[in-house]
Amino acid sequence: MKTIKLLVALFIAAIAFPTQAQTAEEIVANYHEATGGEEAWKSIKSMAMTGVAGMGPQEFPFTQIVMADGRMQTSIDLQGQKFVPQAFDGEQMWGTNFQTQKAEAMDAEASAQYKAESKDVIDSFIRYKEKGYSLKKLEDKTVEGTDCFTIKLTKKPIVVDGKEEENFTTFYFDKETFVPVMSESTAKSGPGKGSTAQTVYSDYLEAGDVYYAHNIITKFNGQTGQSIKIEKIEVNTDIDDAIFKMPQQ
Amino acid sequence: MKKSYLFIGCLFLLVSLQGVAQEVALKGKELFGDISARQIGPALMSGRIIDMETHPTNAQVIYTGTAGGGVWKSNDGGASYAPIFEDHIQSIGQVAVDPTDPDQTVWVGTGEIWTRNSVSIGAGLFKTTDGGSNWKEIAGFENSERISGIEIHPKDGNVAYVGVLGALWSDSDDRGVYKTTDGGDTWKKILYVDNTTGVADLIMDPKNPNVLYASMWEFRRTAWNFNSGGEKSALYKSTDGGATWNKIHTGFPAGKLGRIAVAVAPSDTNRIYAVIESEKDEDKGLYVSNNAGSSWEKTNGDFGLTVRPFYFSRIVVDPKNPDILIKGGLSGSISRDGGKTFKALGNMHSDIHDFVFDIHNSDIMHAGTDGGVYRSWNGGTTMEIVGNLPLSQFYHISVDNAEPYRIYGGLQDNGSWYGPSSSPGGIEARDWVRVGVGDGFRVLPHPTKEILYSEMQGADNVWRYDMERNYTKNVKPLPVAGYDDLRFNWNPPMATSTHQPDRFYMGSQFLHVSEDMGDSWKIISPDLTTNDPAKQGKNSGGLSADNSGAETHTTIFTIAESPIDEKVIWVGTDDGNLQITKDGGENWKNVVANVPGLPANTWVYHIEASVHGKGTAYAVFDGHASGDMKPYVYKTTDYGASWKDITSDDLTLFARNIQEDYENENLLFLGAEDGLYITVDGGANWSHFTNNFPPTAVHFIDLQKQTNDIVCGTHGRGVIIVDDISVLRSVTPEILEKKVHFFDAKPGIMVEEGGFGGGSTELQFVGPNPGTSVAIKYYLNKRHTFGKMSLEIQDMDGNLITELGAGKSKGINIVRWNYSEKPPKLAAAKTFALGGFTAPRAKAGMYKAVLKKSKDTYETTFEIKNDPNSFISSPERKAQYDTTRDLMKEQEDLAYLVYELDEMVKAATSLKDTDAKATKVAQALIDELTALKETLVVTTGDNYVGTAPLQLREKLSAIYADVAANFEAPSQPQLDNIKLLTDRFDDAKTDFAKIKSKQFAKLEKYMAKNNVPALSIDSLEDFLKAK
Repeated sequence: MKTIKLLVALFIAAIAFPTQAQTAEEIVANYHEATGGEEAWKSIKSMAMTGVAGMGPQEFPFTQIVMADGRMQTSIDLQGQKFVPQAFDGEQMWGTNFQTQKAEAMDAEASAQYKAESKDVIDSFIRYKEKGYSLKKLEDKTVEGTDCFTIKLTKKPIVVDGKEEENFTTFYFDKETFVPVMSESTAKSGPGKGSTAQTVYSDYLEAGDVYYAHNIITKFNGQTGQSIKIEKIEVNTDIDDAIFKMPQQ
Repeated sequence: MKKSYLFIGCLFLLVSLQGVAQEVALKGKELFGDISARQIGPALMSGRIIDMETHPTNAQVIYTGTAGGGVWKSNDGGASYAPIFEDHIQSIGQVAVDPTDPDQTVWVGTGEIWTRNSVSIGAGLFKTTDGGSNWKEIAGFENSERISGIEIHPKDGNVAYVGVLGALWSDSDDRGVYKTTDGGDTWKKILYVDNTTGVADLIMDPKNPNVLYASMWEFRRTAWNFNSGGEKSALYKSTDGGATWNKIHTGFPAGKLGRIAVAVAPSDTNRIYAVIESEKDEDKGLYVSNNAGSSWEKTNGDFGLTVRPFYFSRIVVDPKNPDILIKGGLSGSISRDGGKTFKALGNMHSDIHDFVFDIHNSDIMHAGTDGGVYRSWNGGTTMEIVGNLPLSQFYHISVDNAEPYRIYGGLQDNGSWYGPSSSPGGIEARDWVRVGVGDGFRVLPHPTKEILYSEMQGADNVWRYDMERNYTKNVKPLPVAGYDDLRFNWNPPMATSTHQPDRFYMGSQFLHVSEDMGDSWKIISPDLTTNDPAKQGKNSGGLSADNSGAETHTTIFTIAESPIDEKVIWVGTDDGNLQITKDGGENWKNVVANVPGLPANTWVYHIEASVHGKGTAYAVFDGHASGDMKPYVYKTTDYGASWKDITSDDLTLFARNIQEDYENENLLFLGAEDGLYITVDGGANWSHFTNNFPPTAVHFIDLQKQTNDIVCGTHGRGVIIVDDISVLRSVTPEILEKKVHFFDAKPGIMVEEGGFGGGSTELQFVGPNPGTSVAIKYYLNKRHTFGKMSLEIQDMDGNLITELGAGKSKGINIVRWNYSEKPPKLAAAKTFALGGFTAPRAKAGMYKAVLKKSKDTYETTFEIKNDPNSFISSPERKAQYDTTRDLMKEQEDLAYLVYELDEMVKAATSLKDTDAKATKVAQALIDELTALKETLVVTTGDNYVGTAPLQLREKLSAIYADVAANFEAPSQPQLDNIKLLTDRFDDAKTDFAKIKSKQFAKLEKYMAKNNVPALSIDSLEDFLKAK
């Protein structure tokens, strides 16, 4: 039934918005419509994802819990030890130090940067206006071999290395399926600062009442960096609030 | 429900109608899918810089516009740079930061403005409003060719002025100063002299945006001459925002003027500096005005100021001190007394084009040179190069057959070099070897010996370099009796022979051949050029003599001996002759008249003698030096008697080079001014290859025969390689119609090497390696977006070996497997053990790649092989494989034992916690199991200096990792160690069995008696499957 719903949504979207005439708002609306509808997206309070993260030849099973309010915890299982590479409790980012195996707070700027985007963890475009974001349609582009609409999503500025910087991501929406197939953003710090990295989305599958990309790959200069394969997503299950808090030593 | 079916029916109809409407064309981005180029630099010599710009308030941000490598931005005060202009033409004239929105709005005027003979061309004006992530072309400047100035109103970013220098090789009405008041939507030309005189400098008074200075320059280049100066060159000033302009020449020298550089001191805007190129040598030099240009006084005419005005015409004044200024030049000069005297800047690459001072501290400065960006911390006394700008400008490229193959080439003002196509840890600066000085051009390896030929401009030196002995001999052809003096092109042609390894050709106006690697020479042709005296002038430069030899014309430019018949030799000349001999030089025939649609005297840039037929060849003509920017590419199959135009409308700019595939005659690679183009149908359609390949000028292409790599020598982004293009050989319209098509996979070779690289810092460029993984290639006719898709590697019996991330692009996808199987599952412990991260290597043999796409399955087979250069015997290899597997099993058995043990402890603890009466039986079990576990795995400490003594798991894991990573059989000490550890494990198993049969049996009995559910333990198989 879900598949039928999806096909119908795609069809309605195709009829309602001839591909050439769409505005940025329509493209985003189309995307939500094609993946379950805006209300279905808005009804998501939490997502618990399990899967495998790959970095080069290494693979790590992971669990990621994300909350609509922005809290998040990612954990990986390594040789019987559970590590939390990153978590966010609504105010503070923290993670396990791999050497000492103890939790440490990340720097205040990292926490503030994460907080600024924390409500995007489920979907960047849901409630984008409430979040103070804006959309701009740019020139169409061929991405992943497929014709795409280009939408620039500008978020609130963030502070990087003590200076306020504009914060935006460019999304490429497949004209045929209406979903993002890639996004691009600029590295904000480190030696690659200013370089563009791509995130490629595929394997859109049901997750509760929405369709969600189950394969997410980051690329830099054409080389694959991290690959995430989500095997299961549970929506709106009971989540223990304690997991987001940094453990006290 | 019926409704849904109706909708679905309509949807399918819609989709199928779209399908009918689509034609399958052998072109487009989707053809290449995720075939991605590899940019390997090098950056150690970097390349020519045109413009440097700072952010007005953030000293961390610096921009550089480069001659052929695009725009790069530093976010760390000049320590490193990243490219931000990758989708547009890479030749840059001017970068301008909008002072009203400096974080986001930046303008880029394309087309380099230091007008040497080898400059690339621009493609207009561009603007970003998000700091460089997205760029929009500003209409109206499509034909500007070179933009020299962009000035933006300090209070209103919608008001901007653009100076167009314009076409270098032809007249152009596009020259002049333009103004917009609506951010670039509309423009008005506000200053125009004529179609020969363009804007050399456009400067706005930093304190009064209505005051503008524009230096107009009359100039023209041809293939054989350069002229700077004339009656129309002048310096103009406007005080009304460009509405009116007046010449400001009071105190200027009389007579014709050339290029004029102008600068306003930011801290005193009445102080204006101008470096003037004038008719009389004694008048040339720096002029200063202290009244905003009302009158001028000459202060200095030193060489550093007057040298080559067309190439060095930038003055930069310290933002804080009007008396401190720097002038571009051969070495760059700095004055600290208002321009009265100058001294040279510190040691850096020569030919300095632009500078910026740090906005807060004038001791810090950044200089743009012919060899990249340099920075100084002490006012220009000492300079250091930025190490991550791979802007090298190759004129030519060649490859050899070494493994890994080496790449040879010469660079603009940066000598000649060779370097490897891969290197441990990546291709670093230290991997490159210099094999020539001056301007480097062609470097050719000897076909069979460790010898190469390199050269410098005009064949002033032609070196035969012995790579093994590090020994050089100058073997340039010299004038001989009975012949005219030799005319060599600035970029002199050379060629080797596939038939006679010691044969070496060079071209002046004659074709020279040596059969002994250049020790002796014979002329085997008459003058093959037009020998037109009108194109052989000796005085180039105009008002400033510039007889570097760069304009030497009527010369041979390309030589190609047929790979099929050594008697068939092609020669192309820069003045448009296309000559062929079929008898090794006895008789020559000029066949250019047979080329249809080619303007007379168009430069023959490259001839490719084909492997597909004795009379087959390709010719690329380049007319840009006469202002003709069209591509001219032809093919003959009858020794030049007739030629077929193989260009299409897909090509927009001129090309310089073509490379044919050695197997598929229809597969061709074209090096164009705006990048690499590929055709798979003999030129009916061309596709721009843009995957990690910016639109930089590709000057030369070579195809490495063993690897099938396309190696491009670009003039601005170094060497760019498209690895293994063999997949393009089999692309046909039939394949493009299939849902999924697997291409035949080349066997993967498990290269037996291990070494250390990585001597570079994070601020140095390191080129990526191609890797040695096997590549599985398939075509998808549609991008996979919805539903699951995976790619499994299976053995021939269908057992899963590993799963790979499947490529899902429409077009050709490439997925690589590094021959690793799944690593072992290790026992749970407190800390990490190395073996958990070491995957065993697969055995040589046949495998299946199985693509699971939603409900459909597609598969292909491929082979992986052991290294053919290996010294390891089959029995040794088998011993390594078997021992690795044995150790995998030992570790997983241990993991399972520890799992069982942990489950028992958990059950006992749980029982004890809920039933006090069970304490006795439970605690005894817990104590025994805990004691055993402490000998099996590390249970305390951390992963660094708090590490605990290693136990059985860690020791087994370490020896496993050693054996698995090796290619050889395990050594006797390793086998002894394995025996020691497996014996210990056997003992542990015995101990565990005893505990199970005694204490655990008691617990089980207690549980049964008290109706506690029995402990459920997963089977070994299920345990290993669980993640």
